[in-house]
Amino acid sequence: MFQKFFDVCKAKGLKITLSEWLTLQEALDKGLAGSSLTEFYYLARMILVKSEVEFDKYDMAFEECFKGIQSENALTSQMLRWLNKEEMNEMLQIEEKQWLNQLEEIKVDKEDVEQKFKDRLKDQDSEHNGGSFWIGTMGKTSFGNTGGNIGGVRVGGQTGYQSAFAVIGDRKFRDFRDDRVLDNRQFQQALRRLRQFSTRLDIPRTELDIDGTIDKTCNNGGCLQIVMEKPRKNAVKLLLLMDSGGTMIPYTRLLNELFQSVNKSNHYKDVKVYYFHNCIYSHVYKTPECENGDWIETEWLFRNLDSDYKVIVVGDAAMAPEELYSTTGNYRGPNGGLTGMEWLLLLKKHYKKIVWMNPKMAPGRAPWREAETAIKEVFPMYKLTVDGLNQAMTVLMTQAK
Amino acid sequence: MAENNFTSTKEYVASQELMASVNVAIALRKPLLIKGEPGTGKTMLAEAVAQSLGKRLIIWNIKSTTKAQDGLYMYDTIQRLYDGQFGEEGVDDIARYIKLGKLGEAFDSEEQVVLLIDEIDKADLEFPNDLLWELDQMEFYIHETKRTVKAKHRPIVIITSNAEKELPDAFLRRCIFHYIAFPDAALMEEIVRVHYPAIEEHLLQNAMAAFYDIRSMRDIRKKPSTSELIDWVNALQIGGIPADRIRQDLPFIGVVVKKDEDLETVKHRAD
Repeated sequence: MFQKFFDVCKAKGLKITLSEWLTLQEALDKGLAGSSLTEFYYLARMILVKSEVEFDKYDMAFEECFKGIQSENALTSQMLRWLNKEEMNEMLQIEEKQWLNQLEEIKVDKEDVEQKFKDRLKDQDSEHNGGSFWIGTMGKTSFGNTGGNIGGVRVGGQTGYQSAFAVIGDRKFRDFRDDRVLDNRQFQQALRRLRQFSTRLDIPRTELDIDGTIDKTCNNGGCLQIVMEKPRKNAVKLLLLMDSGGTMIPYTRLLNELFQSVNKSNHYKDVKVYYFHNCIYSHVYKTPECENGDWIETEWLFRNLDSDYKVIVVGDAAMAPEELYSTTGNYRGPNGGLTGMEWLLLLKKHYKKIVWMNPKMAPGRAPWREAETAIKEVFPMYKLTVDGLNQAMTVLMTQAK
Repeated sequence: MAENNFTSTKEYVASQELMASVNVAIALRKPLLIKGEPGTGKTMLAEAVAQSLGKRLIIWNIKSTTKAQDGLYMYDTIQRLYDGQFGEEGVDDIARYIKLGKLGEAFDSEEQVVLLIDEIDKADLEFPNDLLWELDQMEFYIHETKRTVKAKHRPIVIITSNAEKELPDAFLRRCIFHYIAFPDAALMEEIVRVHYPAIEEHLLQNAMAAFYDIRSMRDIRKKPSTSELIDWVNALQIGGIPADRIRQDLPFIGVVVKKDEDLETVKHRAD
């Protein structure tokens, strides 16, 4: 039943599995939706959708299936996706202006629409009680198009539900969408993959060592002697090197999220954060401002942070070839007698595990981005997204070959 | 379904959708996962369900150190060792040292119970995955005694989450999900009245207006929740504050607003 609805939900990006779908069928079989579309809306939602951030997608899928509408709503979500892409900033401004104009136009007749909606609702209250499908078809005309807030339209009547389409029309859950709001919890979750338990740390012995206790007790002629051991703790040490300023400015928010996530992940044994500009040379900076003087020597870093540190470099790897290949390529500070590339190779040599996270990585090979291509040869590079971070964490955790 | 039908109780006002979710979860015999802002009554729901259906409530509070095994059973080896040393009776009977956890207790109960797994997101990321089999099949195996504990009556399982961590997909697939939205003014009024039926009309209106004012301030870091409003109303009643002074002076505002920065913001606005 409702095969099309299933397909549309999938198309809208809801992750629905067969087992959940079968559960819904079972529920329908048991008559849990009554014969009301509104009850079906809630029933299907509670079974198929497992997070409030997905409610909006569900609303749109439901609307498409049961009202046959495609419209500005689709445009809105596309718009939201644009909003989230820093790279499209310029384009966005133009688009945004157009969109605002459009919005204003819509606003003009919105009150009219609202009034119509209310009138209809009043007139047809009885019919809603019977089936409630009617409101759905009615909303088709202008209600869905605005995608706006005909707020607080509470449809009374037998069920006491708010009409499904009033909920959709409200788009109450728009703010929860996760493709719009980047949630650093996901970053944190990815970072939690960096776990390596060890008992060789300097902490109190608080756990019972069963094997040890048995041995001691046996040696003690059967008189119980308890042995305690240290609990296993995460031994992972993390070094975060972040590109700052210049071409990285559009990604400030994203980097901020990552930084916050690393900071909040208090399960590491140690976390060190340093900054660089475009490429790593003889010095790394202590602050994102990259002021000359407020730095430490890269060689000091090598000496003091041993090779067990797992290194995450964050940068867009966008630079002129001479910044990478010339011994005077660093236009902001000293080069230290080596080219940027040589410094990167030193970094690679010193640390066992390094990944490079790039917020605007070109897909596949990108010969026009020479520096990026060259750096990809040296370090495994991933795009700075939740997915990319997950992949990178896996690489950091797997054993060195 | 007729016998197991959840409705609002005297102490708990549930929205229509929430009631439907509970009833669907019971009918489909699946755990109900409740998410929502803190203070929207997630934990109280389980109490209300138990009360409404006249069933016993078993609460399993999850902490950051809780492991799935804790909910099934514990084998008290140390006690057995000590007993063995002093020649206690029945040391050879391992079953004496197996103590069922909350989940085990719910399975082993002679009648159907309501099991609340509270704040599941507090535990380790993998915790929900470790419970998949047990919640699906409603049984587990005790290795030490070779006994399988199987639910005599499938408990009604209610799980709450504050969304501190994302829950694993495999776990989510098996749940019925409900998100408790923050109550609107009408529902809120109903909720407060359930707690204080004799509340003076004027006082309630003023307190609610001030409460929604504070919630709507944009720079508030921790938005006050339902339970805080209820406490505040109580404080206002006990303190005998004249109703018209509430919005102006915001007495006992510390009950509603907990963070220093937020207190500053609110005071600043009130001036």
